[in-house]
Amino acid sequence: MAATENWARWRSRWVPDQVIGEILSKTWIDTLIPAFFLAAVLVLFGTQNPTFFSAANLSDIGRIYGEYLFIAIGMTVVMMAGGIDLSVGSIFALCNFVALSLINYLEWNLALGIPLVMLVGAAVGLINGILIGYLGLRAFLTTLVMLIIVRAFVDSLLLDYAMTIARGFNASAAWEWMALSGVFGIPASLVVAAIVGIAAHIVLTRIRFGWHVMAVGGSRRSAYNAGIRVKRTVCATYVLSGALCGLAACFYAARLSSASADVGRGMEVTILTAVVLGGISLGGGRGSVVKAALGTVIIIIVQNSLIQMGLLSGSSSLILGCVLLLAVAIDVRWVKNRHKILARSYVSPTYFKLPPLPDTAQGSDSPYALNDRLRGVEAIGLGELDGPEDMIFDAEDNMYCGSRHGDVMRIFAPDYKRIEVFAHIGGHPLGMAFDAEFNLHVCVGGMGLFKIAPDRTVTKLSDETNRTLLSIVDDSRLRLADDLDIAPDGRVFFSEATVRYEMYDWMVDALEARGNGRIICYDPKDGSSRTVLPKLQLPNGICVEFEGQSLLYAETWGCRITRYWFDGPKKGQREVVIANLPGYPDNINRASDGTYWCALCGMRSPVFDLAQRMPSFRRRMVQSIARDDWLYPNMNTGCVIKFDAQGNILDVLWDLGGEAHPMITSIREHKGHLYLGGIYNNRVGRYAIPGANPTWVSHDSYWGNRP
Amino acid sequence: MIAFVRRKLDEIRGSGEAAVTVPSMDGALKPNRLLEDAAVLREAPRPDQIVERGGDVLYSSGTGIFDLSGAEKYRFDAQVSALAAAPGGALAVGLADGTVRIIGGPHDGALPKMTCPVALVFDGPDTLYIANGSETFGSADWKHDLMIRGATGSVHRVDLSTGKGERLMDRLAWPYGLGLSPKGLVVAESWRHRLRLRTPEGQVRTVLSDLPAYPARLSPAASGGWWLALFAPRNPLIEFILREPDFRDRMMEEIDPDHWAAPSLVKDDTYMRPLQGGAQKHLGVVKPWAPSQSYGLVVRLDADFRPRSSQHSRADGRRHGITSVIETGGRVIAASKGGDLILELAGQGGRA
Repeated sequence: MAATENWARWRSRWVPDQVIGEILSKTWIDTLIPAFFLAAVLVLFGTQNPTFFSAANLSDIGRIYGEYLFIAIGMTVVMMAGGIDLSVGSIFALCNFVALSLINYLEWNLALGIPLVMLVGAAVGLINGILIGYLGLRAFLTTLVMLIIVRAFVDSLLLDYAMTIARGFNASAAWEWMALSGVFGIPASLVVAAIVGIAAHIVLTRIRFGWHVMAVGGSRRSAYNAGIRVKRTVCATYVLSGALCGLAACFYAARLSSASADVGRGMEVTILTAVVLGGISLGGGRGSVVKAALGTVIIIIVQNSLIQMGLLSGSSSLILGCVLLLAVAIDVRWVKNRHKILARSYVSPTYFKLPPLPDTAQGSDSPYALNDRLRGVEAIGLGELDGPEDMIFDAEDNMYCGSRHGDVMRIFAPDYKRIEVFAHIGGHPLGMAFDAEFNLHVCVGGMGLFKIAPDRTVTKLSDETNRTLLSIVDDSRLRLADDLDIAPDGRVFFSEATVRYEMYDWMVDALEARGNGRIICYDPKDGSSRTVLPKLQLPNGICVEFEGQSLLYAETWGCRITRYWFDGPKKGQREVVIANLPGYPDNINRASDGTYWCALCGMRSPVFDLAQRMPSFRRRMVQSIARDDWLYPNMNTGCVIKFDAQGNILDVLWDLGGEAHPMITSIREHKGHLYLGGIYNNRVGRYAIPGANPTWVSHDSYWGNRP
Repeated sequence: MIAFVRRKLDEIRGSGEAAVTVPSMDGALKPNRLLEDAAVLREAPRPDQIVERGGDVLYSSGTGIFDLSGAEKYRFDAQVSALAAAPGGALAVGLADGTVRIIGGPHDGALPKMTCPVALVFDGPDTLYIANGSETFGSADWKHDLMIRGATGSVHRVDLSTGKGERLMDRLAWPYGLGLSPKGLVVAESWRHRLRLRTPEGQVRTVLSDLPAYPARLSPAASGGWWLALFAPRNPLIEFILREPDFRDRMMEEIDPDHWAAPSLVKDDTYMRPLQGGAQKHLGVVKPWAPSQSYGLVVRLDADFRPRSSQHSRADGRRHGITSVIETGGRVIAASKGGDLILELAGQGGRA
């Protein structure tokens, strides 16, 4: 038993399992499939074909690759907008004919000739675009018909003029450069294709047109509803595709000067195979230029190697067809199952051993012994509030609390019956604190740290911090700012519960038991935020101590409370105050007698504690059964504890059975009463503390008795 | 060999025996609130089995046997774990210490000891069938038997006039209910969630399988067919844990059985029990469809053992752990062991 437990601990410490899920959740993960294919192809043909890596062969491949790449980029743009362009082969043949006529036979200047060739391609593309984009014809059929018509047109031209144009010869150096040389040994077509590729990548990922293309391909209706001119965007993609075919044809014409009827035959299948293999989804909306380039290089290598290995051209097409079939199959299955793989692999449990569970039995001499002192506490806003995670009081005793609907609510003193929306933020407000001027600072789940002035002006203070070196998830954005407190110098210390889960998933973080959270310091002097304490197990409550040099923070899954000095002689040091709580601590706040209140939002159960020591059990559980059936920490019973600066437990308040306050996430003492909040509750509880100072208010304890 | 390959394949695919899915409560088993709304006849601590003897309804609770007025009729040294009434007025009582006693009638006295008598049924005044739940655990330790995936139960026939016993079936996974039908002896096999029928010739076949809960006692309905009590729900988490031997071993070694992740008779709010995600209280409410370790379920079967209707107490209810239900004198009476209640159910009810 001990051996397996040691192994589990060792593994959790040294094997970063969470990385798999984090990588899988990246959008660029799709590129890994073509990259894997490329590696396989390189290994296969590199070893089978001795001349594969020779300079001459690579140069040949590169030259053809450049030409293909233009067309593949055009096809990518069309497919990302949800279309398909089968006419590329014919357009290519037509443009090749035009290029030979204009540049070779008529010897036009290239600066005039090449744009004109591209214009011819674009014109054919425009016909496609008008038919598909504006008239709403099916892309597949339309471009198939265009493929046949243009091919027939080219054939009839060739019949009449093939001999004529074959006689032409353009002696310009530029034409020869395009055909034979390049830059530092890189073929000219490849250099230009690379430039076009980079431009296309920037357009698709950074420029408005590219975003429109993505949006149209992703969801045509949504794009239309969002005000995108869908028809024009679709049309433009075909024009672009045609123009790029023209450019490719110019390089082809320069290289081969061939006007045969075979030019561009079957090219649409080759290019389609290439981009689908690269991972450009046939459904539209997903893909990138990099993927198209990867897919194209794979196809070129396969084609080229098969020819070199002496296969008949028929069997080469056969293999290509099979590759297309495989690529489409993978594309479909991957799109369908990607989120399932992610869901199975994202939750990554680690080993975590808690000290033995302290006794809480009723009537025992444990400081945590059960009682029912919270039975029958007064309810405020019953049924009107939804998720008051924390609450706070202003100088007029009005109460402020959050709501799940993204509002900060104000409940008016003295009877706390009238409720209004004080400010709308949009995310669920969690921890709250007032500064000296009664500006309400609030942590908002999913959004960050916000400030609401007494005149209801909402200001965003922080939604990002420094990114951790080598982190795979982008942890610079704040996912789940949780609780905060303000130091005497105005710095705001706030906790971010976890960087791996969103607001609605925070309890899943318990299954990981890893230090996924952190404490961040926002400095109002320069508006900067920076992580001060990383890798905490769901840091939750934060309370600046009475001396103003240190703070207490609660780690919910760690079941402990720790002191951190942010100022003074011990600056930077940490010290555990309470190491082994019987439950999961949430917010911490000051008490009137110089001690602290802490809410335990849930209680430890022996089975869950055991599961925390068996990470592989939890991993299999997450993979085997539905989310609602997972083992969770028991959050249906909570209590409130009172402790002093040395960590002695002074008092405990229970709501036995959890009737009114099943899960207590926050407590606030105000004028002799203790107020209880719960993130899933529909009320704020009000408990009269026996013997408490009836004039004490938290704000004075922080900022003195100022007006 | 084929069985081995199938088992391995099931383990990989999560199918067959390795499946952690639970049959859904649908059709005749569609949930309702009939048990929650049923009339209360008596409050009694942990009532277990109900029988009818000569027009009187008796129930066992703890170490005693009571009638419906609450008067104690008999008291024993150990918990009563099974009860049956003979046509002539004799009672057979199984006790947690393993003894089976006959009270009254011509055969008054004790029978040879068993380990775990959990169900009894008379076939005429002279023949008694006894279901022994497990060879290793007593009736109080049923959770242990489930968690070791025990299958050491057996069914015996005792000829009371000669005292001769005969083992009819063995290697059963907790035979918790016995019934006599014209076709033979019916056995509820709890851990395998099914009913089996043994013909007088000794052939055994499964007549009802894939129940969504663990069956307990069954008894004949007045208009033909059966009343079947099911004492705890199947739960995907527990199905999963049943396929995790390491976890089960450590749980049984380190943790009090009351706090296990295991089926339970009692709806208990203690935080010492594990919580499943769907059972999280929101706005102070546990949803009725929340995953639960305890449940109340009575199913009416027809003569061919097909479910016809059902009565439920769901995750938000308290009348859980129904261990016994009988129909007598036009009344259907059930014992909710988890809810500490004797209930009178609606007669046919529950076809939702």
